[in-house]
Amino acid sequence: MARMNIRISGLGGQGAVTAAHLLAMAANRDGKFSISNPFFGAEKRMAPAESYCRVGSERIYDRGELVFPDVIMIFHPQVITMQKSYTAPFYSGIQENGMIIINTPSDLLNDEDRETLEKLNVKVFNHDATKLALDIGKTELSTNMAMIGACAGVTKIVSLDALDGALQERFGKKFVASGGTASLDEAIKKKYKKKNDLLKANMECITESYSLAQAWAEKQENLQLVAV
Amino acid sequence: MSKEKISICEDLADIMPPEYQELVETATYGKEDRGWKDIGSSKELIEQHSLCAGCPEALAFRYILASLPAPEDTVFVGSTGCTSLVFPHVAVQNIHSLFGNQNAIASGLKRTLKARFPEVEKDVVVLAGDGATVDIGLDMTMQSWFRLEKFTTICFDNELYANTGGQESGLMQKGFVAKMAPKGKNFEKVRLAEIAREAGCAYVAMLTVSKPNRVEQAIKNAVYVAREIGPTFIQLYTPCILEIGKQSMEGLDEMKDAESIGNRFVMKEYVTDEAQKLLDSIKEETKARKKAAKEAKKPVNV
Amino acid sequence: MNKPAELKDRRIIASSHVKLGQKNRKGQAYTDINDIFYKAEQKPSFLTGSEVIKEAIRRASVGTSVAYPITPQSEAAALIGELYAEGYLDEYFRGESEFAVMGQCAGSAFGGHRVFTTTAGPGTLRAIENFPMWAGSRLPIQVCVTCRGINSPLSIQPDTLEMHYLLEAGMLVWHAETAQDLFDFILKGFIVAEQPDVHVPLATCCDGFFVTHTKDTVNLPSDEMCLTPYDPYKSPVPCMDMETAPIRMMRDPFVMKSNYISYSTHASWQQEIHAAVERSRKHTIALLDGLIDEHNTDREILIVSSGTAVSQSREAIRLLEEEGIKVGLVKIKTIRPFPYEEIRQVTKNAKHIFVPEFNVVGWLAREIKATIPDNERVYVGPHVAGGMTMPSEVIAEEIKIHLGMKTSTAGK
Repeated sequence: MARMNIRISGLGGQGAVTAAHLLAMAANRDGKFSISNPFFGAEKRMAPAESYCRVGSERIYDRGELVFPDVIMIFHPQVITMQKSYTAPFYSGIQENGMIIINTPSDLLNDEDRETLEKLNVKVFNHDATKLALDIGKTELSTNMAMIGACAGVTKIVSLDALDGALQERFGKKFVASGGTASLDEAIKKKYKKKNDLLKANMECITESYSLAQAWAEKQENLQLVAV
Repeated sequence: MSKEKISICEDLADIMPPEYQELVETATYGKEDRGWKDIGSSKELIEQHSLCAGCPEALAFRYILASLPAPEDTVFVGSTGCTSLVFPHVAVQNIHSLFGNQNAIASGLKRTLKARFPEVEKDVVVLAGDGATVDIGLDMTMQSWFRLEKFTTICFDNELYANTGGQESGLMQKGFVAKMAPKGKNFEKVRLAEIAREAGCAYVAMLTVSKPNRVEQAIKNAVYVAREIGPTFIQLYTPCILEIGKQSMEGLDEMKDAESIGNRFVMKEYVTDEAQKLLDSIKEETKARKKAAKEAKKPVNV
Repeated sequence: MNKPAELKDRRIIASSHVKLGQKNRKGQAYTDINDIFYKAEQKPSFLTGSEVIKEAIRRASVGTSVAYPITPQSEAAALIGELYAEGYLDEYFRGESEFAVMGQCAGSAFGGHRVFTTTAGPGTLRAIENFPMWAGSRLPIQVCVTCRGINSPLSIQPDTLEMHYLLEAGMLVWHAETAQDLFDFILKGFIVAEQPDVHVPLATCCDGFFVTHTKDTVNLPSDEMCLTPYDPYKSPVPCMDMETAPIRMMRDPFVMKSNYISYSTHASWQQEIHAAVERSRKHTIALLDGLIDEHNTDREILIVSSGTAVSQSREAIRLLEEEGIKVGLVKIKTIRPFPYEEIRQVTKNAKHIFVPEFNVVGWLAREIKATIPDNERVYVGPHVAGGMTMPSEVIAEEIKIHLGMKTSTAGK
């Protein structure tokens, strides 16, 4: 029974919750079993927000926080620099041969971090998703798309087609996960004249990110990610 | 508590964090004419807040804490909501109990403090959001007014339940679309200020937080009247910028719009005759005191 | 009635209050609880349970009481009002609902007063959100619960089902059998609940009407003595009167809803409340002379119960004795903390354990079954519900039927 556990740590307002749901929806479309759920406190901008996506070859019963993830995605440098994480250090529980994707223009790890992660054969991909989102999507709100793309590019846990379908489903109609999420939906819809433009821009972020991440993965030695 | 009690144990002084040391040294406990103008030159009674950037509630908190006549003898009673996220950072003792029961807690608390400290003015101030005040807590809020309990109730009105994601509340405007009101709210914004007046409040004020002078005056009035005469109520418009789709910088303008002529938050006050007499005499006293102080400072002509 | 006991065994909770020996504004002398119960002369009076509650509170140095009408505690609540009018309490008023009343009580307790209130049945359930709040806030408020039926349908008559809802609130839950118990438990209850290593709320339960409205002989100490006052500065958490540093103090702190720190804070706080209830055992055993009373527990047939069911069982045991059937009795006085060890010990020899209860679910039998080995020995019942009386004949007959003996209920 194969399983990949993905933990996303971000800040309120970045779409971390949506990201987990999208990955799970896409995995479903690819014929896999998946579950996604959020964890946050007050519905507040810039507050810590975590979400989890579990993908597997058999039905998944596990609930709650992902204490032992295979993949960790950090959506904002402040998660690390300001300890806006639900665990300390932010990579607590990372499994052997796992991987971490950090949205950052620069390296945020210290020597102790690097040493610990190396011992576990955990690879770290520093990926400036915000810049990519601004360049292609013309808005920071597309950062989560860039991160999803990177995740898929490295782990191949979902296909690009499935992501496209999930996107259509998610943004094509009204979908309320929480109050904060609904407000963000309103905000991003205002940025694009037509819904299709929004979907197109998001998909472009995903695809571009996917390629970058794939290229990075090919250069890594001994990348032994779980395959589902 | 007298200002002398607000001191640091000598043996522990070197390990106390600088924020606490500043609090003891420069906070305006016991200062007779403290007010919002102390902000910047003294230690504020709110260390920081974890609200959204630009939240008007944060602004309101700072003005209120700067304006309390006697913070060293004030106890707050709050309720669940965005405001309760701020109270751990406040240097005045405060109680968080069950959602909506803030005025019941305050009733028991004020009576007991009065019985235990008959010679000291212990101010009890309730600070809660609109959901806590007008929906789930309405019965206890109004009944505390019926019973003429002597404390101040402050309502932070953001016209919805912000902390849980923006659901409709009684103080939301008619027609506004929100969670749990997908077709728009069916009924008018509850006229809570008028209800307060009818229920027995001796001083009622409704205003936004755009002008610190006004906020300071309203808070002081409310506390002074509650000490001597009866319950007081202040409704402050503190819009939730997240839920109305605004940016961090836009809160102030939103408040200014809402209080412009013809709009729902034009400042209003309801003051009973007895309360007005008290406030006038306090105003006179303060003026006379400040004048005397000024005279005392002048160099004597020999 | 309480067994007399040697004073030398009693001095575990001696008061060290500064006012010991001084007089209050009513001329009552603040007296150590041990002296009130074990040294002073006890005089008999013929009173109803409601009147007994008044007499207990008269001697209890209570700061605040808040009242609300609901049968069968309205009389008691109003009588406390009379005490207030006479100057025995600092504060008293009528609240607007049980939910509000319990909040008002909490406010007074936060402010440093000893607080007492009463409620029953639907009122208890209306109030119930407050009870774990009191416990978590370490407010040693005492609520006298005069057990009655819960809706729906409506019954104002006695029923102990409501006690089951209190079991996990984090409060002490004591069950008085008679008006004498009620008097004793109320006064002793304040002392135990207010111990610094306990400091949690207490529900003193008694059965409505059977105790509240029934006149019975009670032995009372003089009303010229009263309990030593509550000292809020002996509380394990700061009093909310802005008289003690630290000033940056929030009760109860609003821990952010979702992260490891808030979970462990919440979990450890709850564990502390449960530990506090456990720590009350030693004080309660000393003052109540044990968490249970036992009679003839070497016998093979035992009745184990609490409250009025114990009184009815005493009568049933007399009836059975007349027929040569020997039955032992265990009276449980505290439901929380539950007397696990004591129950295991006294039921060792029993082959048949009957648990009569005034409720339809049998929650006390469930607690006992969960505690003892070979719990098929427990017969869950007899039960009455909806406020019915449980005639001792019914208990006697149930026992005989269950044991396969000839019964004589034909035509009764």
